[in-house]
Amino acid sequence: MTQADFMIDREQFSKLFPFFFLVDANMRVLQIGAVLARICPQFCVGQELNDHFSLFDLSKDRADRITPELISRRKAGIFIFKSASSDLSLRLQAMTLRDPERYLFLGSPWVRALKEMQLLQLVLNDFALHDSTVDLLQITQTNAISLKELIKEREDLFQLNKNLEQLVDKRTAELSLTNTELSRVMRSKDDFLSAMSHELRTPLNAILGLSESLAEGVYGDMNAKQIQSINTIAESGHHLLSLINDLLDLAKIGAGKMELELNNANVEDVCQASLRFVMEQAQTKKIILTLAMDNKSVTLTVDERRLKQILVNLLSNAVKFTPNGGSVTLETKCDVESESLVFSVRDTGIGIATEDLKRLFNPFTQLDSKLSRLYSGTGLGLTLVLKLVELHGGSVEVESDIGKGSCFSVRIPCKGLDVFTSDAAKQNKIAAAQEMSLKSLSENTPLILIADDNEINLRTVTDYLRANKLRVIQARDGLEAVKMVREHAPSLVLMDIQMPLMDGLDAIANLRADDKHAAMPIIALTSRAMVGDRERCIAAGANDYLSKPVNMKQLVKTIHTHLPKDETR
Amino acid sequence: MYGMVNKSVQALVTTNFGIDKWEAIKKKAGVKEDVFLSNESYPDATTYGLIGAATEVLGLSADEILFAFGEFWVLHTAREEYGDMLSSAGRNLSEFLEYLPMFHIRVALIFPNLKPPRFECSDLQADRITMHYYSHRPGLSVFVRGLFSGVAKLYNTPAQITQTKFKDKGDDHDEFLVYWGDAAKQ
Repeated sequence: MTQADFMIDREQFSKLFPFFFLVDANMRVLQIGAVLARICPQFCVGQELNDHFSLFDLSKDRADRITPELISRRKAGIFIFKSASSDLSLRLQAMTLRDPERYLFLGSPWVRALKEMQLLQLVLNDFALHDSTVDLLQITQTNAISLKELIKEREDLFQLNKNLEQLVDKRTAELSLTNTELSRVMRSKDDFLSAMSHELRTPLNAILGLSESLAEGVYGDMNAKQIQSINTIAESGHHLLSLINDLLDLAKIGAGKMELELNNANVEDVCQASLRFVMEQAQTKKIILTLAMDNKSVTLTVDERRLKQILVNLLSNAVKFTPNGGSVTLETKCDVESESLVFSVRDTGIGIATEDLKRLFNPFTQLDSKLSRLYSGTGLGLTLVLKLVELHGGSVEVESDIGKGSCFSVRIPCKGLDVFTSDAAKQNKIAAAQEMSLKSLSENTPLILIADDNEINLRTVTDYLRANKLRVIQARDGLEAVKMVREHAPSLVLMDIQMPLMDGLDAIANLRADDKHAAMPIIALTSRAMVGDRERCIAAGANDYLSKPVNMKQLVKTIHTHLPKDETR
Repeated sequence: MYGMVNKSVQALVTTNFGIDKWEAIKKKAGVKEDVFLSNESYPDATTYGLIGAATEVLGLSADEILFAFGEFWVLHTAREEYGDMLSSAGRNLSEFLEYLPMFHIRVALIFPNLKPPRFECSDLQADRITMHYYSHRPGLSVFVRGLFSGVAKLYNTPAQITQTKFKDKGDDHDEFLVYWGDAAKQ
């Protein structure tokens, strides 16, 4: 390019350098850029530079007078000229022209923020397009906005976290309060149920006792209609009692107050006893009851009374929902793999639909409302079964086919027990236990055998006799009574008449047929108090006869009357 | 578009119609973001979706919303967050509009992912200017008219803005006549 190519006119020069000015050796202004002239109206041609600006020395933080010598000395550097009358500072480069007496200054205002531009009455368009000052200012401004935004987001997040923490704390406190209140309500509910059950049982005792006495003719003879009515009252009373008992048990379990009385129980005994409970009901419907055990000498550490409650509940249901002529089977099976004993109650009843199985263990659930009219029930039985099994650490499973029947399986864990030991070992153990039990009593104390299929009667009489210093052994049917007499040769037998497998009359006749037991006193106990009953008992071989409800004092007195003299107190 | 645009739509809705309407618009548009960052780039579809949903939720026409949004953008968002940049662009309406083409070029230098529209001006007179708007984004001419109206209000200059060319009617770009003469004051 030639020198001529660089020739530009004054207007073009002013556009390229809107803040330029030209001074002579006396520092007088010769020419000035349009924008600088606009923002510094007093700084015009003919004015002395030092009247308007001074040279700012960055290293010394002071302003100096501008002189040709100073310019010559520092011409390779940046000149910062500070205005004497405003905040304007110019960032300039000095150039010497061909005329050494003239100095040209090129540059632009020194601004560090867009806000400073406004104070100086400057707009973006005042700067030359090649000047990147404004771009840098805009970038700085944008970054400042981004930073401000990020700081705000951070603060918002921090606040959000804080609010969340507070919310969580608040909710936790509320939940804790709700839990406390819930526990209180649950306790109140359990206390209420417990109190109510007790209050209900007391008058119910009178209802049951009196209706039983009435039925037994204690208060005189009644006609058939009256007997039927009193039986209905008794049945309803028993139903109410079972409902109260179930409710009380559920409340106890719910409150965590039910404690299992764990003992070694003979599984066959428990099964037999449970079957006896439903025998009468099954006989009425001509249902065949079967017990199938894969090992008859199994003992299990359980709460015997509760296990019986579980089985009786399942058996009662099975009998209830099985049509006339069907069958109900109680099976027991040792599951070696899972170390548990499985009790299965299988029936040929109406069955349960698959979709109903999951509701089966909810309280007060009878799956079909039509069924509740057909089959009475508390609706608590299966709930209680499940809870009692769970208390034993076990589980309940159900399989069912509509119209074909159901099978309820209760699995009770028996880990670490000698359930799976040999029959012989088991027999030895039972015999040893029996022996220990007998040995604990004095050899001179009379031994009384009580034969009764009613658990309550059995327990009541047993307790009373033991309290009166008599040894007691028990049988729950006539067959067992005969067997135990042969084994233990008791001093006296209290024989109930209505019993399963073999009734009392047959059992007495059976014993009397054996010379060894011909002299053994037998007292018949029966709730049958009809004319001729006493005679039938005596004829069968009984020494005496007492009708239920029996007066306990009278019973003990009668026992002592019949005991051989050397065995009485 | 940059988050500042979506933020502005959010501010317009929440200021005038409440936070619930904004949440409803976001839900309708399928927008998941809780916060828009001004200098982050977002898909254009997000902005179009928000404006489309706003017409349904607020029961206003797209033109009404776009014009209001243009004015709001200048008078609230730009003034509050970019006030210094806005003020440095001109001392009056005329200067601002004249500098607008250069302003957008400079803005494009600052925001690398921004695809800003291009403005040109012609026929600058004492009381009017013709503004030419070129953009690859369709349907925003009413928004631009709202922007000019907002700028006029920013400089307290009563003005009439008339669209004289329409890209959606076959012209190669949109054109606006901005007039701030005495007739515009009445």
